[in-house]
Amino acid sequence: MNNHAALDTSIYTAVTEAIRVEAQRILSEGQVTAVIGYAASRRKGSARPVIATDAVAADKLIFTAACVNNLAVYLTKAKKDIHKGGKIGIVVKGCDLKALIGLMGESQLKREDLYLIGVPCSGVLGSTMQPATELTTATIAPKCCECDVHQPTGCDFIPSVTVPSTPQLEGKYSAEIARLEALTPAERWSYWKEQFAKCIKCYACRQVCPFCFCEQCLCDRNKPQMVDSTPRPSGNTAWHIVRAMHLAGRCAGCAECERVCPMDIPLNLLNRKMAKELKELYDYESGLEVLEKGPLNSFAEKDDQSFIK
Amino acid sequence: MDNRTQQDFEPKIIAFVCTWCTYAGADLAGTSRMQYPSNVRVLKFPCTGRIDPVFILKAFQQGADGVLVSGCHPGDCHYIAGNFHARRRFAAFRKLLEFIGVDLNRLQFSWVSAAEGGKWVEVVTDLTEKVRTMGPMVEFKELALEEQWSGAIDTPELKEAYNAI
Repeated sequence: MNNHAALDTSIYTAVTEAIRVEAQRILSEGQVTAVIGYAASRRKGSARPVIATDAVAADKLIFTAACVNNLAVYLTKAKKDIHKGGKIGIVVKGCDLKALIGLMGESQLKREDLYLIGVPCSGVLGSTMQPATELTTATIAPKCCECDVHQPTGCDFIPSVTVPSTPQLEGKYSAEIARLEALTPAERWSYWKEQFAKCIKCYACRQVCPFCFCEQCLCDRNKPQMVDSTPRPSGNTAWHIVRAMHLAGRCAGCAECERVCPMDIPLNLLNRKMAKELKELYDYESGLEVLEKGPLNSFAEKDDQSFIK
Repeated sequence: MDNRTQQDFEPKIIAFVCTWCTYAGADLAGTSRMQYPSNVRVLKFPCTGRIDPVFILKAFQQGADGVLVSGCHPGDCHYIAGNFHARRRFAAFRKLLEFIGVDLNRLQFSWVSAAEGGKWVEVVTDLTEKVRTMGPMVEFKELALEEQWSGAIDTPELKEAYNAI
């Protein structure tokens, strides 16, 4: 495993240039009021989300392997104010686009309120602790190993570069899910018990998730309090189960929850497991097209009911 | 586990039922004077579609050894499609619980109509006996008793730091 091959990120220079030109054009022409994108941050190689409202700011937009954030989250938490100002431009990777498509299906966003700048992406870093790290098969985010949308489609603008063919990477999530599925229930319970015990209930996973847009989360409610809110094993387990359940059939796999988790709980593993099950049960994959109904708010009369007496 | 506790164990079964079919079915079992284990505690809901998976979690956390969810047969829902939605939701929830490591033998789903008093007795008896042989559900109860902070507080590093004060 020591032969970590470097991955080809040469397209990112051209992508950066194209994003800048396009963002400047749509901002100066008044097509959009703002462009949500990435700009270089203070540390060498790092990137942070920015909202560019004029051509000068748009000239600072970048795209690198450190552009890990899913910017869709900025649209959901502020969705009510979007159309007041006019169209918003947003820089999206293929995985972020899946989240946007899901949000459109749930009537949280309107396609006509957005100007999508799609980014051909050959992968981003798994961790931005060392943002200047070279993108290799070891530092790439696990989600990128199983990515099928290196080249996004259906955007208003996509830089005309071709993503270099990436080597077939080992699917870390599918391997880990298979490993856990092979264990006994007791072994799985002790695995998750250990993972959930780490949780400090900071709710970073909820905050960063584009789909966690409920104005009042079930887990914040008391009277009745369904989920214990203290950071203790019981409430933690309940929170993570409820979270996975509420995201089932919606989560598009941007893995932001896992990235922001300060305690390194493998949160996306639960989401990927649910996605896998829904694919098997109802042949549903989220984020492929704008659908009014997901797998858990629709039904077919022929659905499997072998588990029901 | 010795014989005494094995015999003394009376499972607690929580049944989430829909008011239109299974509740009426259980009522029929009662008025027909059928016998079934008194281990089951029935909670009435308007529809299986109203039964949130979090209720099941809560039941386990608060000491249930088994959970039964029961409603109208497909096509018989008073609200047209509530049980169809519930069917998908619980199919997904089962998979999630299984992945977390919960023994699915403790969680039973069934369709019991208002005319099926006999089936209600059968479902309740089967689940009660199954859970009785499995013993108490300890996983969630243990969690609830555990007072664990996000890290161990007796690591060598912390001890050293403490001694250095």
